[in-house]
Amino acid sequence: MKIGTAKHSYQADEALLTTRPQRLWMGLFAVSLCIAPFMLDNYWLYLACLVAINVASATGLNILTGYTGLVSLGQAAFMAVGAYTVGWMQLNLGTPFLLNIVAGGIVAAAVGLLVGLPSLRVKGLYLAIATIAASIILHFVFVNWQSVTNGNSGLTLTPATFFGTPLTDYKQLYFVFVPITALMVLGAANLFRTRVGRAFIAIRDRDISAEVLGISLLRYKLTSFAISSFYAGVAGGMWAYFFRVVTPESFPFVYSIFFLAAIIVGGMGTILGGILGAVFMTLVPELLRFGIDWLTPILPNAAAMLSPVRTIVFGLLIVGFLIFEPKGLAEIVQRTRRYFHLWPFKK
Amino acid sequence: MLSLTRRTLLALSASAAIATALPAAAADDIVIGGSIPLTGVFAFAGVGIEAGMQDYIKIVNEAGGIQGRKLRLAYEDTGYKVDASVAAFNKLTSQNTIHLYYGDSTGFAKTINGELDRMGTTIMAGASFATELNDPKAFQYQFMAGPDYSEMTGILLEYIAKEKPGARIVLVNSDTEFGRDPIAATKARANELGLEVVEEIITPPTAVDVSTEVLKLRRARPDYTIFHGYVLAPLPEFMTQAKQLGLETKFMGTFWSMDASIWSKVGEAADGFMGVMPYRYYYDEADNAPMLDRIREMRPEYQSTPYMQGFLTAMLFTEAAKRTLEAGKELNAPNLKAALNSIENFDTGGIIGVPISIPGNSIPVGRIYRYDASAQQMLPASDWISVQE
Repeated sequence: MKIGTAKHSYQADEALLTTRPQRLWMGLFAVSLCIAPFMLDNYWLYLACLVAINVASATGLNILTGYTGLVSLGQAAFMAVGAYTVGWMQLNLGTPFLLNIVAGGIVAAAVGLLVGLPSLRVKGLYLAIATIAASIILHFVFVNWQSVTNGNSGLTLTPATFFGTPLTDYKQLYFVFVPITALMVLGAANLFRTRVGRAFIAIRDRDISAEVLGISLLRYKLTSFAISSFYAGVAGGMWAYFFRVVTPESFPFVYSIFFLAAIIVGGMGTILGGILGAVFMTLVPELLRFGIDWLTPILPNAAAMLSPVRTIVFGLLIVGFLIFEPKGLAEIVQRTRRYFHLWPFKK
Repeated sequence: MLSLTRRTLLALSASAAIATALPAAAADDIVIGGSIPLTGVFAFAGVGIEAGMQDYIKIVNEAGGIQGRKLRLAYEDTGYKVDASVAAFNKLTSQNTIHLYYGDSTGFAKTINGELDRMGTTIMAGASFATELNDPKAFQYQFMAGPDYSEMTGILLEYIAKEKPGARIVLVNSDTEFGRDPIAATKARANELGLEVVEEIITPPTAVDVSTEVLKLRRARPDYTIFHGYVLAPLPEFMTQAKQLGLETKFMGTFWSMDASIWSKVGEAADGFMGVMPYRYYYDEADNAPMLDRIREMRPEYQSTPYMQGFLTAMLFTEAAKRTLEAGKELNAPNLKAALNSIENFDTGGIIGVPISIPGNSIPVGRIYRYDASAQQMLPASDWISVQE
């Protein structure tokens, strides 16, 4: 049983990982991320890359919705802005892929600033509707700005290259996407140790009080939108290099709901929640396929018969989490940690 | 000492039952992979496609397979989402040796194309008839089991030019990649045939209120209105309102809006709807269609147009594999595609009413059918039309 976490400096108090088991687990996790590509087949590597992209975007939305309390249903549209920027730069400028991805984030952040303007006057559901409107406007732009987006046919990208080597297989892309996502998650975790991050939390908890305390709502709400959109733009850029085809239909509105569901299921307002939610939402539908695989020997055509059931089970799992674990998957992890802190005295 | 409880015994017998029920999947099976939409907006098609492919595979296997090797369909549901389709592709290709693959959408076909080129082991067909895919250079290992969307509207225009030279036409397309696909080619071909495209209407794919668009139709007074990029809605609404306004225009559609069972639910308003269909309908009693007899034997109830598409795709996959193996060649993408392209004057057993050839990525043949509301069937309105150059 751990009986106390005495800290002797402010630095120790602010550390991201405060206990030895935390550092140990994080170390093991980092090592497993490094060796995973050598153990996984193409299918799992594909999913790992997709998870990395979704974690980056969900973390961005978590900054905006989970930490700042501004509900957005425009995350997919911001991803599309990043993806189109990367696609256009790749095809027209031929600039290095990392630069393109960062540029995708910056352009998305600029668009996010604009879209965030209504947040100064409206919040809650009204803001959500405003972000939906922005998504529709952006979709219109993607379809009709033919010279840049190639309309409905969209952009077909050449692969990203690293010192002349095209990054086409999933193992190569894993080594690009996972470090980028890790950096972004680390950045988000650090953000909430700074004045900016704490201002976001203050705005979420009570915006009027925050303003009384001297926090500029204009500045920090727009900053939150910009950072969140930057994350979405970078995720969209990675998406563009992953699928290499970007069309107006690549980022449907339902994708925004996917990210909102991810942070709700994972746990809003915690970095771990965004990660777990994105992992859950990406992997569970795939894992449910294996349930069908196991039933195939005894039930021929199980895939045809049970695919709708798979969708229902996924939906029920989400509803189940909302009812039985409203604070999200992150809370389960916290509860497990607390159990082991008190072990063996806590039953 | 190991004690065998009743529960353990039950578990052991259940495992044994599962183990004995395992299908006899042999190592040399020829596996057809599939990213098939069994849920989501395109599920109506996916269910038919899967059934059609399974039935043709059953017919081949009952006849001894291909050089003694059985065919097997390994597929996953995609929900008609590109990321799920790619996941299914990776899962299936990781678990099986797959040389033949069915893809569910244009987005997936474009996304996976680079991977197909890189692998060089697999050819792919699918639910997309996108004009862009009908390019043997850019999509060297893909094909479609029918005409592309531009060829479909081309077939409609051939029919119109014959029925009413100089006819006035309005194009109604959904505001999607699918919907906008054939617009440019249709206008160009209409011009060549001396037909006049008097109006272009673009609607959202799920448009409900089309009264403004119908007023545009009234102003344009077309002889024919060609829809593309929809399955059903908003076509019935268009037709009902146009009839109320006394418009004489004939409404036409392309393959995905041609299933008879969909139109039978619309009722009287559907009467007279025409469109291009690359395959015969389930109930077609033509003399030279033994495959249709076989399908009716296997499934006494009506089978949809996607069923026919799945059935023919499996047939072409089989033919390509058969020709490759008969030539003593390895099953890989270049050999399979070459074998597919060697198909000339091929008898599909009546699924298509004329012998077919596949020199490129499509089969540019189709026939015009007209919906008869009293018979609740699509009935032939023309002979088979080929737009092969």
